[in-house]
Amino acid sequence: MILVPITYKGGVFRHDEILDLIEDMGGYIIQKHMIAQEVVLQALIPKEDIETLRVISRPLAGEVIPAPLVGTEIAVVSMSLEIHHLPHASCDIAEYLRTAGAKTNMVGLARGFGKRIGLMSDEERDIINEHDLAIYLFGNFETCIKQKMPTFRRGIRVPIIVTSGFSKEALMKIIDPPAAGYVGGVGRFMHRTKEPEELARLDEIVAEVSRVVDQKRATIAKDPLSVAPARLMDIILETVPDIHEVTSPIPVVVQTDGVRVKLPYDPYARKIRDIEVEPGIRLADICDFRPSRMRDYILMKVKPFSETGMLV
Amino acid sequence: MSTLEYFEVESTEPVGGKLYRRIASTVITDHNLLKVLDKLRIFIDPEVPIFIAVGITRTVPRIITVSDLAGVTFDGQKITLSIADETHLADLLQILWAQYGKDQVHQPDRFTIEIQTTDEAALSRIEELAVADPTEGLYKDLIYSMQLICPEGFKIKKQNYQDGKFWFVAGENTLPEDVSPLVEKQLHIMEASS
Repeated sequence: MILVPITYKGGVFRHDEILDLIEDMGGYIIQKHMIAQEVVLQALIPKEDIETLRVISRPLAGEVIPAPLVGTEIAVVSMSLEIHHLPHASCDIAEYLRTAGAKTNMVGLARGFGKRIGLMSDEERDIINEHDLAIYLFGNFETCIKQKMPTFRRGIRVPIIVTSGFSKEALMKIIDPPAAGYVGGVGRFMHRTKEPEELARLDEIVAEVSRVVDQKRATIAKDPLSVAPARLMDIILETVPDIHEVTSPIPVVVQTDGVRVKLPYDPYARKIRDIEVEPGIRLADICDFRPSRMRDYILMKVKPFSETGMLV
Repeated sequence: MSTLEYFEVESTEPVGGKLYRRIASTVITDHNLLKVLDKLRIFIDPEVPIFIAVGITRTVPRIITVSDLAGVTFDGQKITLSIADETHLADLLQILWAQYGKDQVHQPDRFTIEIQTTDEAALSRIEELAVADPTEGLYKDLIYSMQLICPEGFKIKKQNYQDGKFWFVAGENTLPEDVSPLVEKQLHIMEASS
């Protein structure tokens, strides 16, 4: 069964039927937003059932849109959290990626600015490494990016997409060894992105991110994960009652190869480790548990089939 | 940016220069500096790295006195100030309290201030009393907006504002002791081309 990421937009009226339908299909609801009279669902559903969902939701004025980034957690790395980069461009990009279904976290570096003086701490590096992908929002000068890029990629294991004010081609030329993706024309700017060509650039970022995420998904598919992260999320939501007390909008964040559980590591990691997924198979057998550098959350990375010999 | 007589952003990297022109124009418009700026020239060399901004301001508004914001009358017992513009009222009250003491200065309602005095000569003194100096805020606004335009890593700064001319130099590394040759060069280019 191939699960595809979608966004469902519809009214509040009878939306519980849609929730049930997605569950009955064998799909997973990653995120549910209720905004006044509207419900927005980010979900993964079986490919062959998209049409069924469309047909059933039509009388409820529901809309099913493909959202390539559902089930990914992306770090939008801004060189600092000062007025030079906020709210435009950092927030504009982070917000736009959310419309494509991604869960974006903004990482504002403490000393990321400058050409010679730009630095990245080990905490920042570890946090970026917990994501599926990182987008580096660089500035408008080639000289600076060329000099600071080696510092900022040191120790980063996740794919990096680099954006800058000048062209993609120039960016490709100065970054060596190559990064996973490039987007030109989005550097430092201090106005809101509302002109068509600026929005087209944001679309370009979404396309580039999707391309890199798809590559990552394809690599994972060659050696499938012991359990689908979305299923893992479902298991935790069902078996750990305390997760429903968490006030975060998304208490369990789904990534391409794991989940982030927003419960403190010390009291809960052991309990979650011992959860039986199927008779004789505990979560500890199929997942790596790590304390996250983000607050004291639990980071679970699913082991591949080749390592466990199990497919749940 | 049509109201600026001269506006130029030059860089050793033309693409970056063009993008910084847009940034500069956004910042200047956002901070309402279009009315006070006459000429502005920015030069950025990311290789050094250095950021130099030079500019000329228009005739700035003069010092605001009490007679600009209130009508002043004297009736033998007290001086009455009828406030027309509340903008600098708080500053004015502070000054009056310091000069006459809180017990002599009354504010029966929002737009009236009464000062107990029998000295008629105080009337003209109060009328000419300086309340606020707009240039003070202007200088701060100008330098603040230059800091915004300037690339963020440029933490070492020098600035000056005198006789309607200002300059702002910033860099990542230690700046030379005397930055005037750099500034003079930019001022010269600006004056030659306008």
